[in-house]
Amino acid sequence: MEYKTVLTTCGYCGCGCGLYLEVLDGQLVGIQPCKTDSVSQGGLCIKGWNIDEFVQHSERLTSPLIKKDGQFTKATWDEALQYVADTFKTIKEEKGPDSLAFLCSAKCTNEENYLLQKLARAAVGTNNVDHCARL
Amino acid sequence: MKAMQEKVRKLLEEKIDGFIGLKMEHGHPAPFLFSRENLDDLEGLVVGDVRYPLNKTLLRVAGQYPDLTFGVMVRGCDERGLTELSRWNQLHRERVVPVGVACPPELAKLCECYKPYPAEWVVGDKTEGITESKRLVSVENMTQEKRLQHWMKHFNKCIKCYGCRNICPMCFCEVCSLEDRSFIVTGKLPPENPTFHLSRAVHMVGRCIDCGLCEEACPSNIPVRTLYKKVNEIVEKLFDYKTGESPEGKSPLNMLGEVTLELSDVNK
Amino acid sequence: MVKEMEGTEGFEPKIIAFLCNWCSYGGADLAGVSRMQYPASTRTVRVMCTATISPHHILKAFQKGADGVLVGGCHIGDCHYMKGNYMTIKRVAILKELLRFTGFQEERLYLDWISSAEGVKFAEVIRSFTQKIKDLGPSHLRITY
Repeated sequence: MEYKTVLTTCGYCGCGCGLYLEVLDGQLVGIQPCKTDSVSQGGLCIKGWNIDEFVQHSERLTSPLIKKDGQFTKATWDEALQYVADTFKTIKEEKGPDSLAFLCSAKCTNEENYLLQKLARAAVGTNNVDHCARL
Repeated sequence: MKAMQEKVRKLLEEKIDGFIGLKMEHGHPAPFLFSRENLDDLEGLVVGDVRYPLNKTLLRVAGQYPDLTFGVMVRGCDERGLTELSRWNQLHRERVVPVGVACPPELAKLCECYKPYPAEWVVGDKTEGITESKRLVSVENMTQEKRLQHWMKHFNKCIKCYGCRNICPMCFCEVCSLEDRSFIVTGKLPPENPTFHLSRAVHMVGRCIDCGLCEEACPSNIPVRTLYKKVNEIVEKLFDYKTGESPEGKSPLNMLGEVTLELSDVNK
Repeated sequence: MVKEMEGTEGFEPKIIAFLCNWCSYGGADLAGVSRMQYPASTRTVRVMCTATISPHHILKAFQKGADGVLVGGCHIGDCHYMKGNYMTIKRVAILKELLRFTGFQEERLYLDWISSAEGVKFAEVIRSFTQKIKDLGPSHLRITY
């Protein structure tokens, strides 16, 4: 029998409201706002209140998938990343670096977004980088 | 703090299977279940200045382990909540051991609480309750038009986050009428003004323990607590019923009872 | 009576009347059969017992722009389901106080006991309530809705 609350930040928007995930016996059961958080001060919007919805959702992907013969098949992370790297290399050599584009996300941290644009500009050599919030 | 930690340790060793309180974690007091197996966790037990709906945690944990006895940290309002939850058949009151905290005068004044202390307490000193609510008086003193403007303006700020309902320790319904699409039309902000808030207020009849967590959770600073305080006042005036006071009897809208009102009382 | 039927200048109120099947609706029926005249601004909703009327229904009626809501049930002690009207009077009393507190004109909600033999009373209640609503004017929710 174990109940604890895990302090985390809401991933939905740039506000970054603090909230607690209620974990009962290893299962995510609820959300509480963090009242001592300097940003949110105990308030949450409807997205924050429902952040637990996707965590244990039945339709959530649990492993990388590669399309083989028209069907998505499970793969390991190594396989998937190697496949992406090889395909990017081929496209870059055949069609030039500007035929690749990169899309970042507001659900990623600033650091992750920075890394992606570095990958695009320095590693691949293209300026085709955008963000869902047009950052 | 030490007094609370000692009391809880003793209870865990002798009587209860778990204690629901607040534990200091990463610099923030977080709701936590202390257990007999990990008594060292008690080092981090705090009373805290902030309040969380620990009754809600109790319902969750006790729902999963109905045969165990739990302790819970309670203030005056939480204890009213325990009585009321027991009356609404949500928990076995004899399997709950409350450990009381008396609220300081600043908090009692902020809450305008009429009884800021539970039956017994381990931490804090007794503060006299506040019988007249300035919040209510200031709204009552407005003219009818001013009152209407006041409430419509506040209800217009609502972003329908359901925070007031989610955090309310007395809201235990599995299916909420505020999520009924034929009642509250979806895709519209602010939500039906004033039906959304008035219907919540009506649901608070005989349930609201005046803990104030709803107002603290509202990101739009809507004075919903004033509305529910008024509901409590109405219920006390009409049915002589103070929510959470006595464990006997049933809540006015939860029973048929006898008729104590006349049409002339209603159609003033 | 005829003057009221022609309607005063100004607005025609929209009144929703929740009538219990056994008493008030019967009373309304009797008023109709006896050819009693009363203003046509009331729309009736027949329910089996006024206890089935939740504050939700009344609030929804006001939200949708009803200028007045009338709840008609059996007399205390005469409810077809024994004690249904006990709940009604409690709910309406609470709701009226709450509406008054939020700045709403609580006279727009009216509760009365009308038995199935009281056709005359039904017509009179409708007449006086319609006049009261006319004097109060349109509901502010109707204007802004």
